Amino acid sequence: MTQNTWRRLRSDPYGMSGLVLVTVFALLATCVWTGLLGHGWSEVSGGRYEGASSGHWFGTNLLGQDIFGRTLFGTATAFEVGLLVTFSSTLLGMALGGLAGWYSHGWLDEIILWLKGVLDSIPFYLFAAAVAYALQGSPWAMHLAMIITFWTTTARIIRGEVMRIKEREFIEAARAIGLPGLKTVFRHVLPNTFHILLVQGTIVFVAAINTEVILSFLGLGIQDGVSWGLMLAESSQEVLAGHFGNFIAAGTSLFLLLMGFNLLADALQDALDVRGALN
Amino acid sequence: MTAALRVKNLSVWIESRSGRIPVVDRISFSIKAGEATGLVGESGCGKTMTARAILGQLPVAGIGVSSDGIEVNGKDIYSLNARRRRALLGRDIAMIFQQPATALDPVFTIGQQIGAVYRRHFGGSQQNIRQTTLESLQSVGFSRAEDIAAAYPHQLSGGMRQLAMIAMATVCKPAVIVADEPTTALDSSSRALILQQLKHLQTLHQTAMLYISHDLSVVRQACRDVMVMYCGRIMETTDCQSLFTHARHPYSAGLLACIPQLGATRPAAISSIPGQVPGAADLPGGCHFAPRCSRAEARCRESVPVITDEDGCGAACFRPL
Repeated sequence: MTQNTWRRLRSDPYGMSGLVLVTVFALLATCVWTGLLGHGWSEVSGGRYEGASSGHWFGTNLLGQDIFGRTLFGTATAFEVGLLVTFSSTLLGMALGGLAGWYSHGWLDEIILWLKGVLDSIPFYLFAAAVAYALQGSPWAMHLAMIITFWTTTARIIRGEVMRIKEREFIEAARAIGLPGLKTVFRHVLPNTFHILLVQGTIVFVAAINTEVILSFLGLGIQDGVSWGLMLAESSQEVLAGHFGNFIAAGTSLFLLLMGFNLLADALQDALDVRGALN
Repeated sequence: MTAALRVKNLSVWIESRSGRIPVVDRISFSIKAGEATGLVGESGCGKTMTARAILGQLPVAGIGVSSDGIEVNGKDIYSLNARRRRALLGRDIAMIFQQPATALDPVFTIGQQIGAVYRRHFGGSQQNIRQTTLESLQSVGFSRAEDIAAAYPHQLSGGMRQLAMIAMATVCKPAVIVADEPTTALDSSSRALILQQLKHLQTLHQTAMLYISHDLSVVRQACRDVMVMYCGRIMETTDCQSLFTHARHPYSAGLLACIPQLGATRPAAISSIPGQVPGAADLPGGCHFAPRCSRAEARCRESVPVITDEDGCGAACFRPL
């Protein structure tokens, strides 16, 4: 299966360009984590609002910090936020949505739906502020707020899909060979929702990075470090004054990474499809 | 020889606001190891519910079940707790489904799915499981078993999928196999092959087979004995030979008369049984077939005829042919 998947992905030029983009950004993020790059993100290394030069590829900001260095560091932040939120909320949504769908109209389903209803009814930015306040400014408050609220959409979609799949004959066949209910969910029902999780995961990844921008702008986001969100927030004032360094660097990076992810996820969906529905 | 499958007074009903609607009404039968019995009847007569009950899949919400015992190899499925019952399923009794296209999980290979059944009941090393899987595929006639094991269900044709399903049902060499319309979704050349393979495995492993079908010709090819079902009751139990030469229940005779004859003088005249199958909610009293029966008399509408012969064979009819 892995060989076939790789072969199909290789033959898709859009998917491959997506893979290249994401890999480049992932490598940059790894370099930042290991300290090879971007460690000078907070140092003042030049004058304020310097233009592009060989020393400062994207110029400097208000405080004279190197925008290129800050963009690199922001890559790591984007991956941290995006990956953490995507994996956690997708797993949570898959598990809770799967249980709710399998035991649909039972008490567990009621509880999960009730929880989802409560979370969905709280305005998100108010909720994020409340979590940040409750955690006394912990750097993980933003991540937690997103994970807690983002799983509900995934869970709703998975619940519906599980309710559809559990009526299929191969689930009855699994029961007929004596597979207990919960094992059936994890062995036969959820694997059949993988394509949905992949698409939903991409959407959540994009949403997480977008939300980080807004939360950072509101001062509820990244506490210790820099992110593309913070840079865009700074640029909202600077663009009016004719300084485009932050705007172009962070905006372009954000655009490229999100496009790469979308292209890759779209191609992966086709390449991983073993059911023959698409080819 | 003891029976591999023995069903005693099995009843299945649907719970509704106006009370219980009977779907299967106190049916009893047994099948010996190495023998095949057919259960024939029209759509909606309770064949599939019987199969589900035998596999311990009932009761579910809205559907109730009762019996004086459904024994597989002497073990009563309904007296076992859930855990022991599951241990029995797939190992001692297995099911072959009507639609191999939907009864196989689309995201796993055939080999993974067959292996999972064996691992579940016998465990063993990865290598052992793989070996058993391949042997099972070979036993249903695949010469390139390894290619089939690596294939996903959608890559196989309908007939090959059904063979793969048979390989899956027989991998644990169960004592009883219930085949619910095993050839209905297939063309007639695949049908002959499937029936031939099933018969081969039945003799090889001394399996007791229960064929459920609406198609009398399938039953004639595959089974020695046959039960004719109508509105949840068994109308006639006999061996295939006598059914086709001398059906004793008027309903069985009617069904046989419905089979178009090749070379009949007037092809336009396809005979049918007058009237319609009554709905399960408003079954007539007495013999359910009485309103459509040309031989019915007063007592047919008042009391229920039962099979009186000592060996359990015969027709449930006051006025058999």
